[in-house]
Amino acid sequence: MAGTKWIYDFTEGSKDQKDLLGGKGANLAEMTNLGLPVPPGFTITTDACRYYLEHGGTPPELDAQVTEYLAALQEAMGKTLGDPADPLLVSVRSGAAASMPGMMETVLNVGLNDESVQGLAQQSGSERFAWDSYRRLIQMFGKTVLDIDGEHFDEALDAAKAEQGTELDLDLDAEHLKDVVDRFKAIVREHTGTDFPQDPREQMDMAINAVFDSWNSDRAIIYRRRERIPSDAGTAVNVCAMVFGNLGADSGTGVAFTRDPGSGAQGVYGDYLQNAQGEDVVAGIRNTVPLADLDDIDHDAYDELMTTMARLESHYRDLCDIEFTIERNKLWMLQTRVGKRTAAAAFVIATQLVDEGLIDMDEAVRRVTGDQLAQLMFPRFVSGGDATQLTQGMNASPGAAVGKAVFSSEEAVRWADRGEQVVLVRRETNPDDLSGMIAAQGC
Amino acid sequence: MGKTCVCGAEELQVDTKAKKFTAPDGTVVAEGDVISIDGSTGKVWLGEVPVEPSSVVRYFEGEIDPDSDDADDLVRSVHRILTHADEVRRLDVRTNADTPEDSARARRFGARGIGLCRTEHMFLGDRRQLVEKLILADGDEERQAALDALEPLQKQDFLEIFEAMDGLPVTVRLLDPPLHEFLPDLTELSVRVALAEERGEPDEGSLRLLAAVRGMHESNPMLGLRGVRLGLVVPGLFAMQVRAIAEAACERRKAGGDPRPEIMIPLVGAVQELEAIREESERVLADVCQEEGVQIEALIGTMIEVPRAALTAGEIAEYAEFFSFGTNDLTQMTWGFSRDDVEAAFFHQYLDKGIFGISPFESLDREGVGRLVQIGAEAGRAARPDLKLGICGEHGGDPDSVHFFHAVGLDYVSCSPFRVPVARLEAGRAALGGDRAGS
Repeated sequence: MAGTKWIYDFTEGSKDQKDLLGGKGANLAEMTNLGLPVPPGFTITTDACRYYLEHGGTPPELDAQVTEYLAALQEAMGKTLGDPADPLLVSVRSGAAASMPGMMETVLNVGLNDESVQGLAQQSGSERFAWDSYRRLIQMFGKTVLDIDGEHFDEALDAAKAEQGTELDLDLDAEHLKDVVDRFKAIVREHTGTDFPQDPREQMDMAINAVFDSWNSDRAIIYRRRERIPSDAGTAVNVCAMVFGNLGADSGTGVAFTRDPGSGAQGVYGDYLQNAQGEDVVAGIRNTVPLADLDDIDHDAYDELMTTMARLESHYRDLCDIEFTIERNKLWMLQTRVGKRTAAAAFVIATQLVDEGLIDMDEAVRRVTGDQLAQLMFPRFVSGGDATQLTQGMNASPGAAVGKAVFSSEEAVRWADRGEQVVLVRRETNPDDLSGMIAAQGC
Repeated sequence: MGKTCVCGAEELQVDTKAKKFTAPDGTVVAEGDVISIDGSTGKVWLGEVPVEPSSVVRYFEGEIDPDSDDADDLVRSVHRILTHADEVRRLDVRTNADTPEDSARARRFGARGIGLCRTEHMFLGDRRQLVEKLILADGDEERQAALDALEPLQKQDFLEIFEAMDGLPVTVRLLDPPLHEFLPDLTELSVRVALAEERGEPDEGSLRLLAAVRGMHESNPMLGLRGVRLGLVVPGLFAMQVRAIAEAACERRKAGGDPRPEIMIPLVGAVQELEAIREESERVLADVCQEEGVQIEALIGTMIEVPRAALTAGEIAEYAEFFSFGTNDLTQMTWGFSRDDVEAAFFHQYLDKGIFGISPFESLDREGVGRLVQIGAEAGRAARPDLKLGICGEHGGDPDSVHFFHAVGLDYVSCSPFRVPVARLEAGRAALGGDRAGS
């Protein structure tokens, strides 16, 4: 395989290279080449993943190619990975050809260590931000790369917040977060017998391999089987310069849809979270504001986002979902893809696009599925009756489910195997709950 | 993933370790308590909330006119997309229905006929006693009396179904399951007889029934005396069913209706089986037409559900005007799986180990079972170019399988009434080269 090109810069790819670059990588390249504001980065191909899975190790040329592309990235950013004075930080994210939401791993803030956290504090002018970024790195790295149960980190963070008498991350100051970092490092030591790696390149290489390994995690295998995604397709790895939504009130992060993915209605749909990093929005840990509020918070960034979204939708001729970050009033696009939608929205959007002249009726028929139609035929609840309403949550996936409450994925599977109808109740669902979600009527 | 889901229910205090959650009003819900969640509105209730049909179902039922103000964007979109799918699809869609109610509903949902009308359900309930009489009959006379008593009841069932499907084909499958399925359970009956004997009051009828149940016990009923084998072994049984079909059709015709019966022989493995039943059926049809003074056309065809039938489809087609692939049994016999035994016992392990990604009963195994369907279709068509080809297993409503049936050139798929719209859409998507996943 000598001479094989295992890595593509974002400027080198396009949306038609999903099989090679994965969905995320191909779309990042597409946006880059449309001239949209995407942080510089590169994609390690699914070929490299397949090689890794077949041979139990990375291709021999990969190391040198990572060095080469990292050098180019450092030059573009004018920073060096993990530089103690002014570190370049990167995100390492998976991205398979077929969408596997939540299945694979993301590690942010790679390049931070005990020294570069100081440099980041100086450069950003915010010690709190730097230490918060560092604790996030150890938490994500510990969970996804080192395979430590995430609950340990959650509990340690909860404990730190409880000591300060708060429930909000934002109430923890730099000193508190330094303490959290120490606790997190102790968790890593306790569970792996070694210290959290301080070498930035080692962090990056370990994260890349962890993405490859996660292709064969139990939950990824279950998901692929269920969705009939070929088991040998492999995932790409995206390495991207970090931009920060948690630098203060002039920063933030959000998700947006070019149409309402719930109903298909046109308008501004999405959530924005000021002073936050990506996973805060997706995980639903903190309460977001509607995307429309961004217009008041940062009018220019909002306008640019709206223009960008309109451009993406006409370019892809379909509903797109977007992850973006605003770093000190500057908009950055972190991801786009043809968006997931509810069954109802799939039908409504398909005919809207016909009426807008973007697609024809043949294409509209191709864009919806029998499985989606079957979902629309589920019965729905009649209001009233003897049952008492307990609460109002967010409508995540339609249908009407009745069942006995269970509180763990394992119980859901066990009860369902006995022929019981169950509803899975979790504080937050994560990909580990997949087998329970499949077994349950709802969650 | 399509699983009903509510998230962001911040007001609930969830304690996964103690296996409970607490609502804002103080209600505590523990493991095992019934709750209802609405994934469309995000509401969560304690207890079971009654359900009603969705707007899309009400549209299919004809309760919402897609061009009226009652229709929302969703109903209008579904209507437009399904109308277009109907225009472009080559596969016809029929339904599996055994009752007039199901037939009428399937027709509202867009079914263009019945691909499988099972007759075994017509032998249950009060009629079970008549079946017992048939089985216990001592001699031709008693047997014929039992059949004569069943015939008008069967005829009434068919009358109503032909009426619901007026002008559209109704494929009636002659009796398929083994007769002992209509008899009491062996163990239960043994206990009853033993208790009666202990009390010193043995009951002649029960003793006779017990002897019959013992005599008919099969260790592997799926491969036993059923389908066409019954028709050949129990004199007059299939003739009675054909007579009921023919008389019902004549009566509908006299009433100004347009019945389109198709008679389907189950479990044929050899052309000789079909030949014998066909002769008998044609004779009965001719007799009834003469008695009634009405001319009716009824196609006679066969299920293809035994691998041997698929492999000898060319010969079988000489005596069949249609084939209907019974992919449930064909899957059982091709894999050597007894569905009732294997699914619960070890399929989850097969799925875990990746032996197959999805149960072959859920989605057609293209390489194995599908190969037999293809062989049967090709050989059948080669022998009889106007042979009608359909499929009536549960796979008829499975999106991926519908694409396969389109590709191998079948004329129709038949599925349960609620899957009919799904099959219509997927048949359209298959004709347009769409894939299962959508784009």
